[in-house]
Amino acid sequence: MKPRPISSRVGAYVKAVSDAVLGRKIAGRELTVFPDDIFLVSYLRSGSTWARFLFGNLIHQGEPPVTFTNVNRLVPMIYDFPDRVLRSLPRILKSHECFDPRYPRVIHIVRDPRDVAASFYYYNLKVRELADGFPMNEFVTRFIAAHTVGYADRLGSWEDHTLSWLRLRQGRSNYQLVRYEDLLSDPAKELTKMASLLGICVTPARVERAVNLSSADHMRSLEQTQGKEWRTTKGTRSDIPFVREAKSGGWRKQLSEASVRNIEQAWGATMRTLGYELAGSSRLPEQAAHTIEKPYATR
Amino acid sequence: MAGRNLTVFHDDVFLVSYPRSGNTWSRFLIGNLIYPDDPVTFANIESRFPEIYFNPDRVMRRLPRPRILKSHECFQPQYRRVIYILRDPRDIAVSFYHHNVKAGNLPDDYPMEDFIPRFIAAEFDNKWGSWGDHVTSWLALRQNQPTFLLLRYEDMKQDPERELARVASYLERCSFGKIDVTPAKLKRAVELSSPERMRALEKKQAREWVLTRKTRHDKPFLRTATSGGWKSSLSQTSVAKVEAAWGELMQGLGYDLASSTPAAVDPPGSVVQDEAARTNR
Repeated sequence: MKPRPISSRVGAYVKAVSDAVLGRKIAGRELTVFPDDIFLVSYLRSGSTWARFLFGNLIHQGEPPVTFTNVNRLVPMIYDFPDRVLRSLPRILKSHECFDPRYPRVIHIVRDPRDVAASFYYYNLKVRELADGFPMNEFVTRFIAAHTVGYADRLGSWEDHTLSWLRLRQGRSNYQLVRYEDLLSDPAKELTKMASLLGICVTPARVERAVNLSSADHMRSLEQTQGKEWRTTKGTRSDIPFVREAKSGGWRKQLSEASVRNIEQAWGATMRTLGYELAGSSRLPEQAAHTIEKPYATR
Repeated sequence: MAGRNLTVFHDDVFLVSYPRSGNTWSRFLIGNLIYPDDPVTFANIESRFPEIYFNPDRVMRRLPRPRILKSHECFQPQYRRVIYILRDPRDIAVSFYHHNVKAGNLPDDYPMEDFIPRFIAAEFDNKWGSWGDHVTSWLALRQNQPTFLLLRYEDMKQDPERELARVASYLERCSFGKIDVTPAKLKRAVELSSPERMRALEKKQAREWVLTRKTRHDKPFLRTATSGGWKSSLSQTSVAKVEAAWGELMQGLGYDLASSTPAAVDPPGSVVQDEAARTNR
């Protein structure tokens, strides 16, 4: 939301050109996808870092536990490395992309958009994208319109993002939907469900180890010692934690009634489909499960 | 190149389609309606309505706005205004086959029979996904929204003036200036975009045009420019494979199926296997 000074734009341009020439350009959407790849896909602030710990600890059994210093190499994010480097890293990858037809196996984490909105607000304070005191209501309005910060806007709104995966992949064996809230209330049960998609043998002990090594308390203490080194939090405000509440339903205290109503009016039908109870008694249009209409069938 | 990293402006209009669905013809039609005195050619098309894949973002950003841009992307949430062109996937398959021969990706005598399963599995240009994923992604997310205009190649062939008038009224709603859609203007735009004229232009300009420059020049880009060619070019088995993969979707879009029991055919690609997995649940 802040205008970038010209010097930084020139700098970005020079960097982009030299990165492209030297093969350092981050992979992102230009990633080369391989048939065995597994993607942890989610919208922003939907528990994907936690999921990297959970799934990393579940899959990489014989290795040291996931921490903020090794997570980038154990469960790499497609935005952290060039394609060339990602080729030689484990291919369980974190991505925030909207529907990508190439992703062969997808674990899709969805979170209540009211919590996502609140979490994203505090994250933007932490990374100094927003100044202290920026009105939450205004932020929520922009959040609904996917008009906050460039990299987030590119992913589409929460609803576009969520529906793009749901409507294209739901019901297929190579796609699993997980709600952040279910992951919180019974992580072991949700991890066990992913076994066949991941192609691993999951024992209760293995699951328990992964859950314990990825607890919010454990992650918080790791953040305290490693937050200054981790690429994602390096240089950000250390008075605001990255691992915040790690709870669901925080929006009840953090969002105004008006903001809650705006979100529910925009996405209520999709929220209901996902089992998120609406706070407003609002008379939302009932939306049946989407079927592609037949604009030409009668001709 | 800009591609997926294109900077998108709020007033951009995207001409989106799966490859080989009539996107270039649509660019001719629209251009010849908007600029009747300076008709579209293969020499000026990429500066007027460029593809997003051939110029760096910094060049694309300097184009006069509102821009009209050609894209083959699957659903992109940041594209606000989209004209989506649909075409019968059986015709696309045939066209795509010849396109790949022209591009040097397939030898002249490559069996069509072997190409079809690879087409269904989106082995060529796989970043755009399969035809089914592509169409579904746009329709499932944007159908019936006022910012989304759906066109069918077959309707454009049947009555190009009518379809072009729909496009003009859509563009006017997108804050383009008034577009003259008198029957004479529409007719002229269609004539300037006829296969004969486009073929003549291709003959002269194919060595300059970025899409054809590096391809074989003994094969045309503009092939038959008809619909229904699949009936004579595809074997029954090939037709059945395409219909097994996407039959339900095709029927919904008004493309009648030739095979009566498409589901009985072996699933050729992952798409179909997944469909099968779904119905078995």
